[in-house]
Amino acid sequence: MNLGRGVALVGGATTKFGVRAATWAELAQEAGQALFQAIPALTAADVDSLFVGAAEPERFAFQSHVAPFAAEQLGLAPRRVLQRTELACASGQSAIRSAFASIASGLSDVAVAVGVEKMNLPSMAEANSSMACVMDRAWDGAHGATAPPFFAMVAQRHMLEHGTTEEAFAAVSEKNHKFANSNPNAQFYDKTFDRAKLGRLPLVAPPLRLGDCSSMTDGAAAVVLVAEELVSKYTDVPVRVRGTGQYADFHNLANAGSLTDWVGLEHASREAYRSAGIGPSDVDFAETHDCFTISEIVEYEALGFCPKGEGGQFALDGRSSLGGDVVVNPRGGLLGCGHPLGATGIAQAVEVYDQFARRVPAARQVPDPRWALVHNLSGSANVHSVMIYEGAS
Amino acid sequence: MSTEAPRERRPAPVLAPAASAESGTTSPPETPKKPPAPPLPFLLDFFPLEDAKQTRLSAFFDNLRAGRLTTTRCRKDGRVRWPPRVVCPECHTSELDWVDLPVDGRIYAFSAVLMGAPLGMESEVPFVVGLVEVDGVPFRMFGRIVGTPWDQCHVGQKVRAEPYDLPDGRVFYRFRTVPA
Ligand SMILES: [Zn+2]
Repeated sequence: MNLGRGVALVGGATTKFGVRAATWAELAQEAGQALFQAIPALTAADVDSLFVGAAEPERFAFQSHVAPFAAEQLGLAPRRVLQRTELACASGQSAIRSAFASIASGLSDVAVAVGVEKMNLPSMAEANSSMACVMDRAWDGAHGATAPPFFAMVAQRHMLEHGTTEEAFAAVSEKNHKFANSNPNAQFYDKTFDRAKLGRLPLVAPPLRLGDCSSMTDGAAAVVLVAEELVSKYTDVPVRVRGTGQYADFHNLANAGSLTDWVGLEHASREAYRSAGIGPSDVDFAETHDCFTISEIVEYEALGFCPKGEGGQFALDGRSSLGGDVVVNPRGGLLGCGHPLGATGIAQAVEVYDQFARRVPAARQVPDPRWALVHNLSGSANVHSVMIYEGAS
Repeated sequence: MSTEAPRERRPAPVLAPAASAESGTTSPPETPKKPPAPPLPFLLDFFPLEDAKQTRLSAFFDNLRAGRLTTTRCRKDGRVRWPPRVVCPECHTSELDWVDLPVDGRIYAFSAVLMGAPLGMESEVPFVVGLVEVDGVPFRMFGRIVGTPWDQCHVGQKVRAEPYDLPDGRVFYRFRTVPA
């Protein structure tokens, strides 16, 4: 794979994530304000392209054609490329990958990738319906297929095939919530969840409890990517895009194959590692898609951080926390920060930049990082998207 | 605790092959009849449009109404796929035939929706959904599983597919646990 000309991430920012008294448009405005504050050298006139990660604005905000809508909220007038990217839970990373591709190809020079999702509606049942139509709506959704029962089946099979325990799920949740306590923008910033408390929370879809599931969250985030030759105008600590990979192999659940062996993520991460010229052991920290605790456990395995079947023990042994093999989800993850679909992938990239720029609180700062990996899955883990970044040395 | 879907209006016909397992003696009692809920707006209605004016797969629903669970098989590569299609994804031919699916299978994985149900399904909580390994086909079918409370279901449990009626006259399918 030829990655084209060099592309760097030069900064980003997020809004407060949570149940927000704010509309889709207001969240977009907040993200724009935070972005221009985070990168003082950035002017609206610099930005030639805008990529808008938004999963379901038609359903959650009754608003379509959101790319120009978002441009207006941010005060931008894109003259090269303007587009929305929709890939359900991975819509944000999809915006970044598209911005990266556009700059690498020479079509764009300075691109903003913004992700916005407003998910908390007056009717939560209606919001749940919107989440369910991410699946094959007519043939799976009509039976009541939403994300929690699907990932609960993954958890059930992982327990059956590998002996993974509910305590391992709680270990993941405890870790990510603890990291979120150092992130004021996280939905659960001021909430404490230890393993004993997590085990008492109600079941959502057995064996998954409330603390095993990410939330319905309102939020927005934005980053700027620029061509290598423009880096010095914006930052002295640029973060380079070094690798990327993506894989999709089914949609209807009938065609899922193994629930516990995420072949798509193995393919996507192998491609990303190969393009970056590194391997799993080189990764210092990873922002992975912990939409559910079981997801993070399977991701350790498919990303090559531990052997197949040993993801639960990897979490229990603290090998995915500070001081372990690889720090996973120092931002607080989707579990601790919440999961505003289109904003999640962007917020993960913001964390990557801020970690390399040493801008995060000491409680979650990864010591001397060089390589970071970002992963998003979407739908029923049927699509996997991976990016690899290298910090300035 | 009942796991019956309240959408049901009349007993579903038994899918072929008619077997002795449909005794009903160990099934929970049917949910008491409720007045039908007002229809959902089209874009909040999960169930497929089944009329020949709206889909080329209306035969699936006609077959289901007649007690047959069917799907399409490609004449060229001979493969049976799910869900039914109008073009083979491998050969890109539209020469597909309707074939009966086996109705017996076993639970491969399951869970239950205890909260967070979509609009129109809230009154059915708790309900069981699962992936069923259907005898003799190279895929698993996802579906609602009725007949056993969620905390008494188990992986490997025998289930059988059955049709059921929606309040507006449409038809759909689900799985019912088979007494051991
Ligand atoms: Zn064919």
